Amino acid sequence: MTARSDGLQRFMLGLVGIGLFLGMWQVIGVYRLAGLTWPPLTDVLAFITDPSKQTLFGRAITASFSAVITGYGLGVVAGIALAMLGRVVAVLKPGLDRLIAVIHAIPLVALAPLFMVAANRDATPPSIAALGVFYMIYVATTSGLNAASATHRDVFTALGASPVTRFMRLELPAALPAIVSGMKLAIPVAFIGAIVGEWFGASRGLGLLMVSAMQNFQIPLLWSAVLIVTASSLALFGLMSLVERLTYGRYQ
Amino acid sequence: MTVPAIRLEHVGKSFALDGGKQFTALSDIDLSIGKGEFVALLGPSGCGKSTILRLVAALEAPSSGRVSIEGADPQALSRSHRLGVAFQDHALLPWLDVRANVALPFQVAGKKVDTARVEELIRLVGLSGFEKARPRQLSGGMRQRASIARALALQPEVLLLDEPFGALDAVTRRQMNVELQRIWSAQRITTLLVTHSVDEALFLADRVIVMSGRPGRIIRDITVPFERPRKPSVMRDPAFHQLVDELTLALEPEGEAE
Repeated sequence: MTARSDGLQRFMLGLVGIGLFLGMWQVIGVYRLAGLTWPPLTDVLAFITDPSKQTLFGRAITASFSAVITGYGLGVVAGIALAMLGRVVAVLKPGLDRLIAVIHAIPLVALAPLFMVAANRDATPPSIAALGVFYMIYVATTSGLNAASATHRDVFTALGASPVTRFMRLELPAALPAIVSGMKLAIPVAFIGAIVGEWFGASRGLGLLMVSAMQNFQIPLLWSAVLIVTASSLALFGLMSLVERLTYGRYQ
Repeated sequence: MTVPAIRLEHVGKSFALDGGKQFTALSDIDLSIGKGEFVALLGPSGCGKSTILRLVAALEAPSSGRVSIEGADPQALSRSHRLGVAFQDHALLPWLDVRANVALPFQVAGKKVDTARVEELIRLVGLSGFEKARPRQLSGGMRQRASIARALALQPEVLLLDEPFGALDAVTRRQMNVELQRIWSAQRITTLLVTHSVDEALFLADRVIVMSGRPGRIIRDITVPFERPRKPSVMRDPAFHQLVDELTLALEPEGEAE
């Protein structure tokens, strides 16, 4: 009962916080407190919902979302697969760890121009997204695969488990909470990767829209693109938080 | 004594500590356990009794001497899925319900799950009605019951119990002892129980081995005279009390006993 009212209280406080934030945005915009480049929230919403802008936003959203989804999917699959490979073929593990640490040490932004010239320009946003997501998922899966307790391992040894059985029935299920947490944290990374990739000259997408709006001083358009990206990223992050909570409830 | 099922010959075990030092956990242990015998290893914490159990389970290898089970290497027993273990930490898989946890040894062994056997075991340990409960929904005692049911699933030839009731309160612990006695009497598996409770050892075992620590060695080996099946009333027997006193005294650190 108290847990529920605590949860409700936190939820209400969260709503109040969001309300205050949006209210301040509106007030600053209406009274021009931050100058002309800060439009009121209602103006931005009206701009987004304007029927004449639907094709523009529709095309950009489709392009950016397919970059996010492709990059996220590739990154998740590759991250889990390589972490599993490092686990199964133990000889590869130190090399894989080092290689992936080196790749991660290179700023993604520095890689984008390379992708631009080396690959198709529309392949850059999903590639950058995939790289960021991949690193996060690789690290999460690697640590998750070590999560099974020593006693659990002893029980499997005493029961005469083969390495495959141990992996499938103990290590992989025990890794699931860590993998899901990684997948949650990778959502904003996928958006950052896709948008940064688009800045460098993709042919369409919300990132491209932002750059051209900024350069042409189309303030409502710029804010609209930012708002759409932020809202989508937050919504998916919230969805993954829910999945994470369900997984933790079941697997821990 | 019958043919030994478990045999330890001059077994020693030392561990490397940080800084290059050696810690001798066991030195020159000789122990034979007969087929169908229930032996309790009794001793203060850190005396190496759990190490003996881990050597028998092939979870550790001896530094010197030899451990054999029915003449063979202990690994052969676990590899052929004929070993049952239960630890103080129940070690049930949190993502599986009671039924799936008890059925786990079948899956690990690559055998078809014998559902009738699983149901029977769940009934035997008194968990009927909780088949679909997850470990975290159960009390400590119920988790240990499930853990013991899992250990018995494949009708093992050797059962190893490492302080299975160590984390339970005194009342639940006594109740679990009575139940384990009942379950064991129905199966009569060669059993090695590690405990630091004198009452538990005397109530459950055919033989009690008393150990002293640093390095771990055997100081007493007594045969428990009480008839089976044993009822809880045996614990009020004067002979039981006398043995409790005797073993408690033997457990006291040398030099401090008067």
